[in-house]
Amino acid sequence: MALSISLAQSQKCKIVLSGVVVDASNNAPLDRAVVEIRELGLKFITDLEGHYHFYNLCEGNYTMVVNHISCDSITLKIQIQKNLIKNFRLPHSLNELETVSVSAKKDITLNTIKEELSNKIIDATRGQSLGEILKNVNGVAVLQTGSTIFKPVIHGLHSQRILLVNNGVRLESQQWGSDHAPEIDPFIADKFIVLKGAGALRFGNDAIAGAVLIEPKPLPKKAGKMGEINTTYFSNSRQYVINGMFEASPINLPEFSYRIQATYKKGGNAKTPDYWLYNTGLEEFNYSATAGWRKNRFNTEFFFSSFQTSLGIFLGAHVGNLTDLQNAIESSRPIQNIDQFSYDIIRPSQSVHHVTAKSKIQYLFLNDHKLNLVVSYQNNQRKEFDRALLSPRPELDLAMTTTIVDVNYESASSKNSQYSFGTNATLQENIWTGSRFFIPNFRSQNVAMYVTHAININKWMIDGGIRYDFKSLTTYRNKSDAVSSIDRTFGNPSGTIGSTYKINSKLKWLFNTTFAWRAPQVNELYVNGLHHGTASFEIGDPNLNSEKAVNFSTQFKYQYDSSWKLDLTIYNNIINDFINIIPTTPATLTLRGAYPTFKYIQTNAILRGVDFSLQKNITTHLSTGTKTALLWAVDQKTNDWLIQMPANRIEGNITYSFNTKYLKQSEIEFSWLHVMEQTRVLKNFVDYIQPPSAYNLLNLDFGTQIMFSKKSINFRITIFNLLNERYRDYMNRFRYFNDESGRSINLRCKIKL
Amino acid sequence: MKQLKKYIFGVLFILIIISCTKSVSTPNDENEHESINRVELIFTDNGATPKSYIVEDPDGDGGNPPSRIDTIFVITGKQYSVSVKLFNISSGVVKEVTASIVSQAAAHELYFIPSGITAVIQKTDKDKNGYPVGFQSNWQFSTTGSGSILLKLMHKTALKGANDGPNVGHSDIQTSMPTIIK
Repeated sequence: MALSISLAQSQKCKIVLSGVVVDASNNAPLDRAVVEIRELGLKFITDLEGHYHFYNLCEGNYTMVVNHISCDSITLKIQIQKNLIKNFRLPHSLNELETVSVSAKKDITLNTIKEELSNKIIDATRGQSLGEILKNVNGVAVLQTGSTIFKPVIHGLHSQRILLVNNGVRLESQQWGSDHAPEIDPFIADKFIVLKGAGALRFGNDAIAGAVLIEPKPLPKKAGKMGEINTTYFSNSRQYVINGMFEASPINLPEFSYRIQATYKKGGNAKTPDYWLYNTGLEEFNYSATAGWRKNRFNTEFFFSSFQTSLGIFLGAHVGNLTDLQNAIESSRPIQNIDQFSYDIIRPSQSVHHVTAKSKIQYLFLNDHKLNLVVSYQNNQRKEFDRALLSPRPELDLAMTTTIVDVNYESASSKNSQYSFGTNATLQENIWTGSRFFIPNFRSQNVAMYVTHAININKWMIDGGIRYDFKSLTTYRNKSDAVSSIDRTFGNPSGTIGSTYKINSKLKWLFNTTFAWRAPQVNELYVNGLHHGTASFEIGDPNLNSEKAVNFSTQFKYQYDSSWKLDLTIYNNIINDFINIIPTTPATLTLRGAYPTFKYIQTNAILRGVDFSLQKNITTHLSTGTKTALLWAVDQKTNDWLIQMPANRIEGNITYSFNTKYLKQSEIEFSWLHVMEQTRVLKNFVDYIQPPSAYNLLNLDFGTQIMFSKKSINFRITIFNLLNERYRDYMNRFRYFNDESGRSINLRCKIKL
Repeated sequence: MKQLKKYIFGVLFILIIISCTKSVSTPNDENEHESINRVELIFTDNGATPKSYIVEDPDGDGGNPPSRIDTIFVITGKQYSVSVKLFNISSGVVKEVTASIVSQAAAHELYFIPSGITAVIQKTDKDKNGYPVGFQSNWQFSTTGSGSILLKLMHKTALKGANDGPNVGHSDIQTSMPTIIK
């Protein structure tokens, strides 16, 4: 009898409540909406598609509260007797202070394939660089230089083919360098969205591979104050990170709100399973301040950030010439190394300082149409120090300034239609002053116009946009006091059209087609010099034309009863006049020895691939998932593979979640990653060393939340490379010299004040 | 709307100020470079007139290959005192930089590696740690023949030891000079 009662109760407490939260004005899904069951104290934050779900509910009457930052909240009484799908339509708040970039972004990226990092991943990667964080997105790899420099690679493409949009401003720095990491402090953001494909036309025509939106949370709208402290420690490099944030809106001045934030990071030499890597430390100090003012129909916001880093380049990987390189490769352990720990940073090293200032303003017309104006200024100072020879000056010393003005007009949201149009202008200058020439001074001007439109027709959601860019590029050169300048101009349209078809409540089909183009960069046109980090001599081609890309991508999203979730993305990116750097002969002879010569050329390329992910909740506490990313990248002219493309990979995880009296939102996750050997390499080019073998990594993660005197403390411990696996990765440019880092025990703590 | 107009004019004013930089159109001379692109070996034979042998690459890294590589002529049975001088040629101006490298002797070492010939070479100068440097050396040849001497200046910051091989460090100079022994 007792058993049957217990069984009946347990069956009654297995009800699933799920649904979608949408914007009532245009039916667009609302991510980051908070759905709460008040009586149970349960909360769920909706995903990018607006989904929420609660498991193992008992029959009964409940009060549901749904909140979203841009909308008025809804409170609703519901009765639950069996599995229930309950959708919510949230009305827009009249006193909205949505950021200009976000509001403009929503329509243009409606049908672009995108993935947002979950809060769990953001928490589990706090303290790491942007590139390391983004590689948790399926289809995103990293191009690595040693243990400190990580560049995101989306569907095989990186550097200037990816737009990094930091708080609504596209990052403008020396991103052409494969050893130049993005100058962004990830602590600024609480949202990382990767747009796969070329659909991010709102931010530029040249996002051939995709874009990454790095977005801070909106400033507080209600009077009050809040603070947060984050700390991280990485055992491998003995790196510690501390970050603090404070935000407030004064009671006596509720129109005003502000936030200040700062991060300090210091790390020493990294360690492989067998030896230390000398001179791989880093030191970083970043800070930012944001202030906002809103009154009636007028909103404005000012943002300032500073990113400053110094990082060492592994001593054993900085070769003098081809002979040094061959000697380094032939040795099983790095020969130019000191096998000990140190926080010291000596030459070779990099020092970068990036400053961003942004002002944005929004005016809301009486008919609820909006005018947005964003003005930004960026200053990037990059110094690269090879080994000092005749003076302590940096060999490469570049200063770049960029000013961008963006004006955007947005129609009011309606249920069936929304449009926007705008223009932006960019002025950029770059000056070199190092002891060695690498790229010339230049001034670049870009003017663009764009229009976007989104409509809903029954089960179809269709959006499209067109954009026209005109770019002029003037380079200035001085050869023995004879100064000359060269002008180049580029102009092209670009466009995107996408659609989502809701086949049924469980299955959605999205497809997107984009035409984008990218003007050649100054380094691709005019570089002429020694790239010490790679022991190569690089030569540009001043006659290069723009790259033209046609990108097709489609995505199937299937969700069954909130317990199965499947995501399949297929893409085909055709790039004509693809700019590629390839080895050529003869070698460059100098008094330092011989260097292999690399030249920029144009070819036609196709990059196609598949991203697949599957998630299954096995029980209330146990869930599992897997994802894989496959890529084929072909040079059509030579009928050969493209060089330096990420190898196929598959990963999986199993997670156990639990709550106790003292430990809330706790989980233990065991994950593994298998990276295959890259066999798709150039047939006619013998690399210095064969691509590394396939490898497996196991990781273990435990996270929990402890309530302490009404304050929550999030604590997390992650063991990366649990088995201290010895491996090298094809996408690490230092794979010729050393193994990857070994085991690291990472501790993280977040305290809300 | 008044606020909006004020804002736009303010922004335009700031942009005009920011945009008025001239230095972008007055670039540095890219032919000026801080490299060692001339090496001179001075052979002195027991009071005889010193003989110089030179390798030089006036346009620096890239561009044209080294324009001058002298052949070293020596005689068996003699002991030569050899000193090395280094120069930077930039925009046609020749500047000796030996002293600059000698001042960093604790992080540098010169190597002379014979190929196809036999030579006994002994470095006579030391750095502050008592390790060999190589700007001053004694050379002897016992058999006739022809081959080459590979000259390497290795950069050894934090790496230099007492008896390092020529592959320890990073190459600042690596050039081969034909050599004939009579």
